Amino acid sequence: MLMDRRVLILALIAIVQMQSAFADSPKITAVLTSSDVVVGEMVQLQIQIDNAGMSVRPPSEIDVPGLQIRYTGESTQMTWKNFSKSSSITYNYTILPEKPGGYRIPPQSIRVGKDNLQTPELTLRVADSPKAAASGGSNRAPSSNTQAGEEKIAFAELLVPKKTAYVGEMIPVVVKVGFNSRTRVAEMAPPQVNGQGFTVQKLGEGERNLENIDGRSYVVFNYKTAISAARVGNFQIGPVEQKANVLVPRRSSGTRRKPFDPFSEDPFSDPFFALPFGGLMEQHEINVKSDPVPLEVKALPAGAPPTFSGAVGSFSMTAEANPKRVQVGDPITIKTAISGRGNFDRMNAPELSDERGWHKYPPSSNFKQDDDVGISGTKTFELVVSPNEKLTRVPSLAFSYFDPVKEKYVTLQSEAVPLIVEGNAPATPAIAGATPGASPAPTSGGPQKAQDILHQINERGKIVSSFTPFYARKEFWLAQLLPLTFALGLMGWKVQNVRASNRAALRAAQLQHEKDELLRKLRRDQLAPREYFSDASRVVQLKTALKQMNVEPATVDAETAARVFDLNAEQSEQMRRLFATSDEFRYSGAGNGESALSSDGRRETLELIESLS
Amino acid sequence: MKLRARFQILVLLLFALPSAEGASSDGPSRTGDDLFVKANTEFAAGNFKAAIADYQAVIGSGEWSANLFYDLGNAYFRHGDFGRAILNYDRALRLDRHHPEADANLRIARDQTRSLELAPSALERYLNFGTANFFAVVAAIFFWLTIILLMLRPGQAWWMAAGIFLTVICGFAAYKSENGTRGQGLAIVIAENTEARVATVDSARSVLALPAGSEVLILQERGDWNYAALPNDQRGWIAADAVEKVRL
Repeated sequence: MLMDRRVLILALIAIVQMQSAFADSPKITAVLTSSDVVVGEMVQLQIQIDNAGMSVRPPSEIDVPGLQIRYTGESTQMTWKNFSKSSSITYNYTILPEKPGGYRIPPQSIRVGKDNLQTPELTLRVADSPKAAASGGSNRAPSSNTQAGEEKIAFAELLVPKKTAYVGEMIPVVVKVGFNSRTRVAEMAPPQVNGQGFTVQKLGEGERNLENIDGRSYVVFNYKTAISAARVGNFQIGPVEQKANVLVPRRSSGTRRKPFDPFSEDPFSDPFFALPFGGLMEQHEINVKSDPVPLEVKALPAGAPPTFSGAVGSFSMTAEANPKRVQVGDPITIKTAISGRGNFDRMNAPELSDERGWHKYPPSSNFKQDDDVGISGTKTFELVVSPNEKLTRVPSLAFSYFDPVKEKYVTLQSEAVPLIVEGNAPATPAIAGATPGASPAPTSGGPQKAQDILHQINERGKIVSSFTPFYARKEFWLAQLLPLTFALGLMGWKVQNVRASNRAALRAAQLQHEKDELLRKLRRDQLAPREYFSDASRVVQLKTALKQMNVEPATVDAETAARVFDLNAEQSEQMRRLFATSDEFRYSGAGNGESALSSDGRRETLELIESLS
Repeated sequence: MKLRARFQILVLLLFALPSAEGASSDGPSRTGDDLFVKANTEFAAGNFKAAIADYQAVIGSGEWSANLFYDLGNAYFRHGDFGRAILNYDRALRLDRHHPEADANLRIARDQTRSLELAPSALERYLNFGTANFFAVVAAIFFWLTIILLMLRPGQAWWMAAGIFLTVICGFAAYKSENGTRGQGLAIVIAENTEARVATVDSARSVLALPAGSEVLILQERGDWNYAALPNDQRGWIAADAVEKVRL
């Protein structure tokens, strides 16, 4: 176990050492921001050296006939990863092609410490653009500053790659705002590109770099945007204006300076700058401006095709239509994607080359940009059409644009899509949304007929005062009181019935209980005759009352019992004798002796009573 | 015997309620009648704008009728405002679902604008034979009959279960009718070139272009925008002033 840990630790140390060994060897790369440009269009060359250390001498001049190559500065980047430091230096050059053709930028030899590194050979193709070539010169606006004193603190620069453009053409623009690295930017609003006659795309987030310009180190913010000329004429792009609050190191107390004028003398001549963060800083509000850049805007040439809607740039088009088997009047969605570089905001949907027999719905669109400023990307249109008659194909789509490089109009055409249309005009209106994802259908298809509406009605008809549903009105709920009242009455009636039936059941139980008790006494055969006949007649009365619930036991006599139990003549006679004997004993008081009641008489009487059911 | 007679009266009252739909009043007021006649005269003379104003004045008085909305729809149609024409034909049909003229003219107006219709669900198509009012009243009848049966014959479990089931079914049908594509949220696009968008800004991506007269189902109202179900089974935000609800 301990051995395994040691091996693991050694392996980790070895990996770290290998990483640091690899990290130490310098590497060089060189790239062009674009390898296909037109004459007059600016391109950047970036030479990047990783793990360069300090002693690097970049090529001050790169000489290629036909190309103006200028060194614009350097930026340094340092990163810490897995406890190892790495640094890279990027040397930036701008290249302005003066003539069309293919150019090779030869390998550049750069000495890094003891090593001598070489950049790869780069190729640049420059397309012909006579007018752009004729304008010549650099399109880069000179860097400038608003105030003489501010020139060492900050600068603003506007890079416009072209000096001539067409109306509607999108021109990429870079705004550079730099601050001396010894200052700190406390607050900064996005720069503003002033001027008239053109529109400016929204500036993105500034990309922060450290550049060395004229021997001074600057923190440079690069803002990418694009402008589009709105009308013909000569315009000034800019100036770019940048307001910022900058913290500048405070002077030492021994140095004299003019009050309230931080730029009256070179602030960096102060010895305090040797320790910029050791002293206090003071805040200054500065306003930096670049020089404006002239731009000549030309009108689009005459002879625009009918399908031209204002798109300027370079584009390609794809299209597809679905479904390919439909009924007359059914919707077909044509999805068209236009990709490329240009003014997508002025782009309309492609047109059907032949609209006969078709009904079109307004198209919808969606733009997905590939860059930061929206010049490059893909705009997708969804066009819904429905055939009014039997057709065999969806006609081709045509899209026209003006190509500023070729200086001519270009019309793109999609291929016609085979289609099967079945049936005649639908008898009933089609309902939209039947196909999820597809755009909706028209309410009816077929060729347009001149239909007129029906006549006016001069009677007002039944008057109403509300669209509210009936059940949402109080009348509906008030009406429910009627059945509610009825239900409550019914409930009361039912409760009364239950109570009444309960009383009857209770009475029956009492009578049954009394009858059973008396029968037990009669069967014991120990009663005196008077009690015996009294109890026997009472049992008959109870049995009669139990059978006929609405009869009171006390009111039952021999005839009643005979009728209720449907007795024959002999039994009826027995019953009468029983009641008569009972009455005799009760009212006369005679016969109080055993001799008056024989055991046969008792048995017959008991049998008669028990036979009653 | 008396009880049976009372029960019959109660049932008759309940069945008579749907015929009272619309809270009928005694009759149109004189002012409303005069304005209606004046509007019809303006329409006959070809003064559609004036006719629209007069019809709107009658509507403002609160005395509505299917014929009034139908005539207003005709005036908008002649005026070239097909979105509002469709809206008022729909309102006429909402008050009288068997209004033949409104039904015919609605079809013509929809053909004219190629407006889009909301697709009713299968259940809604099945329930199309009745209105929300009809289902609500039938549900009430089943409810009370079940209660009365419960009192009179407590042991009849199957009848009770059937009564409760029918009450719930009719209540659900009333709810679906009120909240479906023909329900309270139904609105008509009245503005031209209306687009439903994914967010409440004019620059947001378009979901669907809606010709005037198209149907949408308002799901939520938020300031100047309404969130609505669209005819292509999607949802989107529509400017509030571009649509108007059918139900006033």
